[in-house]
Amino acid sequence: MKSRSLKFREAHKVGGSAAFCSILWDHKAEHFVTSSSSDPSISVHDGLSPSTLPPTILRHHQDGVTALALSHDSTFLASGSIDHCVKLYKFPSGEFQTNITRFTLPIRVLAFNGSGSLLAAAGDDEGIKLINTFDGSIVRVLKGHKGPVTGLDFHLNGELLASIDSTGTVLCWELQNGIVSFILKGVAPDTGFSTSIVNILRWSPDGRTLAVPGLRNDVVMYDRFTGEKLFALRGDHLEAICYLTWAPNGKYIATSGLDKQVLLWDVDKKQDIDRHKFEERISCMAWKPNCNALSVIDARGKYGIWESLVPSSMISPTVGIPDILPKKRNEIHNFDDEIEEELHGASESLNDSLVDSDDGESHHTSRKRLRKKTCIDDDGDAYEELNDGSSLPSASEFRKKSHRVHREKQYAGSGAFKSTAASTKYKMQSSFQPGTTPLEPGKRTFLCYNMLGCITTIEHEGNSRIETDFHDTGRGPRVSSMIDIYGFTMASINESGCVFANPCKGEKNMSVLMYRPFRSWASNSEWTMRFEGEEVKVVANGAGWVAAVTSLNLLRIFSEGGLQKHILSLDGPVVTAVGRKDHLAVITHVSDCLPSNEQVMEFRVLNISKMTEELKGRVALTPGSRLTWIGFSDEGSLSSYDSKGVLRVFTSQYGGSWIPVFSKEKKQEENYWVVGLNTTSVYCIACKHPEIFPQVTPKPILTILDLSLPLASSDLGAASLENELMLKQLRLYETQQRVDDMASTGVDTTALEDEAFDMEVSQDKCILRLISSCCSSDSFVRASELMRLLTLEKSMRAAITLVTKLKLPFLAEKFCSILEERLLEEANEAITNPSQNPNKEVVTRVESKVQNPPASVQTSENTEAVMKSSATKLSATTLVRKAKVSEGLKLGKEQTKKDETEDAKIKEIKKLNLIKIPVNNVNKEDKGLRKEVNQEEARRSSNPFLKSTV
Amino acid sequence: MAGQTDPHISLFSPQEVEFMAEDELVEIVPNMNMEQLNFISGDFGRFIPQIPTKVPLWLAVALKRRGKCSFRPPGWMSVDNLTQILEAERESQSTFQALPFSYVEIARLLFDHAHDDIPDKYMVRSLVEDIRDVRLHKLETNLGSFQGTSAVKISNVSAMEVNIVRPFVRRALEAFYKHDKPEADIDRDTRSSRQQREANNEPRRPLRQR
Repeated sequence: MKSRSLKFREAHKVGGSAAFCSILWDHKAEHFVTSSSSDPSISVHDGLSPSTLPPTILRHHQDGVTALALSHDSTFLASGSIDHCVKLYKFPSGEFQTNITRFTLPIRVLAFNGSGSLLAAAGDDEGIKLINTFDGSIVRVLKGHKGPVTGLDFHLNGELLASIDSTGTVLCWELQNGIVSFILKGVAPDTGFSTSIVNILRWSPDGRTLAVPGLRNDVVMYDRFTGEKLFALRGDHLEAICYLTWAPNGKYIATSGLDKQVLLWDVDKKQDIDRHKFEERISCMAWKPNCNALSVIDARGKYGIWESLVPSSMISPTVGIPDILPKKRNEIHNFDDEIEEELHGASESLNDSLVDSDDGESHHTSRKRLRKKTCIDDDGDAYEELNDGSSLPSASEFRKKSHRVHREKQYAGSGAFKSTAASTKYKMQSSFQPGTTPLEPGKRTFLCYNMLGCITTIEHEGNSRIETDFHDTGRGPRVSSMIDIYGFTMASINESGCVFANPCKGEKNMSVLMYRPFRSWASNSEWTMRFEGEEVKVVANGAGWVAAVTSLNLLRIFSEGGLQKHILSLDGPVVTAVGRKDHLAVITHVSDCLPSNEQVMEFRVLNISKMTEELKGRVALTPGSRLTWIGFSDEGSLSSYDSKGVLRVFTSQYGGSWIPVFSKEKKQEENYWVVGLNTTSVYCIACKHPEIFPQVTPKPILTILDLSLPLASSDLGAASLENELMLKQLRLYETQQRVDDMASTGVDTTALEDEAFDMEVSQDKCILRLISSCCSSDSFVRASELMRLLTLEKSMRAAITLVTKLKLPFLAEKFCSILEERLLEEANEAITNPSQNPNKEVVTRVESKVQNPPASVQTSENTEAVMKSSATKLSATTLVRKAKVSEGLKLGKEQTKKDETEDAKIKEIKKLNLIKIPVNNVNKEDKGLRKEVNQEEARRSSNPFLKSTV
Repeated sequence: MAGQTDPHISLFSPQEVEFMAEDELVEIVPNMNMEQLNFISGDFGRFIPQIPTKVPLWLAVALKRRGKCSFRPPGWMSVDNLTQILEAERESQSTFQALPFSYVEIARLLFDHAHDDIPDKYMVRSLVEDIRDVRLHKLETNLGSFQGTSAVKISNVSAMEVNIVRPFVRRALEAFYKHDKPEADIDRDTRSSRQQREANNEPRRPLRQR
């Protein structure tokens, strides 16, 4: 560090503690102005010979001057003070013009726009005032900061205003409509309420970047439109930066820190060139125009000029000043124009929004689009909200709002925008990855969430951090977090590994597919694939395979090790895909969206290991909805969930059809984000209404909801039973289907058969309950239909007993005849089957014998007749006996209590019967059977031969 | 009470009160798969990752210690609710707000074992402590307003609070009873043998009969 001494002169007396002093040059370097927050006077110094001529002193304020601003052509000087006034002077004469505005609290900062037509003033008051300098009228009040505003800077084009408050929050306003284009919360140090230190921000002279002091004693550059962090200048400052100023050409920047140093930076090289240590903190600096010199003023009111601070070896700060003229527009005065423009913009963005809102509920919200959507609130709605709301909407509120706006616009289809809506063609749904939530800057989001685990990402300084967690921390492998340089937006996870992909962003960032196996015997078994001119849309993985569907409608299948195994061309643009074990389900568009806003999509379920197609068909959706999730249930059936909240499962019933097994109740406070399902329930994350997807923190928990079919409201009043029955039938059907499948492939099916039997039992119980409710509502035909649905003989007998107890003899009779028919059928089967399959004969015959003890077996006709008679006899006798017994027992009771207790009785009787029936059966059959068993035993061995001859 | 430390003053140690509170049910989110657990007190589970289930506090603490679950803080342990309760407690001098019977113990166990699962834990902690202090102070001042009664009814007093004031209240009530009754007894006992009564003068007895 070169030792150099600057000559300081006192401009303002600062008694006591440090004060904030300001210094400003006019555009021709003829004069400079100084002020101090502890001195009510403003000094206009002669720039050429400051030492000889005494400064012109302006004494109009009653208290310390905290802010100074010169218009760009140096014709006006504005000053703001602790005495709450903003005064305007002519320059350089210093003639007092007007008290242009007053605040209720001290002013902290002033800024002129490029053309000098507008003065922005802000301070401890709520809101930044935009004042028309011609007539002093207040054009707008921008409300949004939560602390004293200490820094303001107009963008060169005059359309943006950046502001910073003492809490370190930066807001960028669009002056045209008063909307916040971006918020950077807490990016700068918190200076508290001290008037001697201010937070500052400055647009670069080329207007591309915004320089703001950072939290790490650095200067951070932000992008003009998006507010994205571009880079930071970090160096020798030991404490936070309190002032900064760009060189006129934007190549250098001078920063002053609380550590009493002033550093000079080369912005392009991001390096500090020079520094100077002062005795006092430098509270303000100004580059001398057309000169390689920086004037500084310290907190004691002493100013000095640091001459030729940029080394002669480098470009002078006055060379190459960007030639951007301030846009000469009568921005604010011409209100009619503006309103027109706004309306125009609104209708434009409305069109966008209509398209967007169809676009899968806008899952890919970027900052820019968010901004656009807030614009949709036309008639200054958003503007008003911003002005009225004391607090600024946070990012999530923005999101909610955008959703609300969407909805409003959708509903407003019949309103003023009908013409636009009618002319808008509905768009095909864009592709999505199941279990992904939209990316939000600065927040952790899900790349993938399923029943097994989740993958989350958060952007951090240009890179993303990806973390993989298994729900079952004990069983799943522990996966280290990963730095993601590609910016992955989709992922898929299963037990063996996870796959990532990113969309391509321009030519430099190609779309990349990456696979990370969790367990591998070889080290470094991750692999990546790059796609040139192609973009990965959806990824999926399964047992030993990884699949990616690309924008060229190619389905690429890789092995776990990264071998490219298959490339298939798909029929249409992909919507989504999901994998499970050997199966891959891919959903593609078949045609453009129907005019009624219905998506036409097709699915294929492929078996990767066998290279076969297992299922193919159309995707069923609620009219006007989008597909939001697909997946396989725990049992492996394909399921889908749409944006109207209907969950469907694909079954092989009716040659393959979708069954709506669950639907969100209307007007519910919660949205369900489906994660998985099994045969009885659906696992989902419940989100409070306007939210449609969950946040990563706090960690979401799964809610289990029972499946419920959208049943019509029946007169029976037993909807839950009907629902249960239908679901059980569906489940039983599926299980039997699987048993058949497995049997055909020769796999042992006993376990599944047991399961099916249990299901039959529980289904019969459900039917019995339904029969009793049918009987109580006098729908006897329905009851007899239900009777036919019973699968087990035992439960049929129970049904007969039930109706007998209910004193419905004609129904009992009907039921008896149904039972007889059933027994007859079974007997027929038992007789016809053996002839075809002698091996099974023994088993079936034993069953039939237990049920109906035949007197003798000679010929088929004979058997039939005997069986019929015995069955009738048996059932009839049991009935009579049982009825007598229980009626005798309960005669007294029944007479007194009668109808009121009927329900209770039904239950009692049912219980009784369920116990009694087997007992009765056993008792009776035992008597008759025991004797015969021996004979039967002997006969049975000869039976097969006997039958085969018949 | 078999496990009582000192049966004479009917006081439980805080550990004992805490032990009893461990039977309260709390909601946990397991991160492991486990079959249903069948205990005498009931069946708990089955445990599926990320699906909340209710288990006794002692089991939840045991699982938490092994890193097998995370707690879902009970509804009353939110900053909003506690602030409301604290305000209400401060407002009315005579009534107590409804809180779980063993809120002190539950809160204590949660802070000891599951502090990472409680949002705004420092705030919640100080609120619970404040509420406890306010209530205890209130209870103690309320004791001063006892008149010559033999029964006191205060609703919503928690286990720990009852435990603290129990010995005093019991003795005080007994004393009231003793001082009130003799006159009544004299009238009644003039006919019967007073001698016998005096010989059998156990302070507890009359109270038990009530």
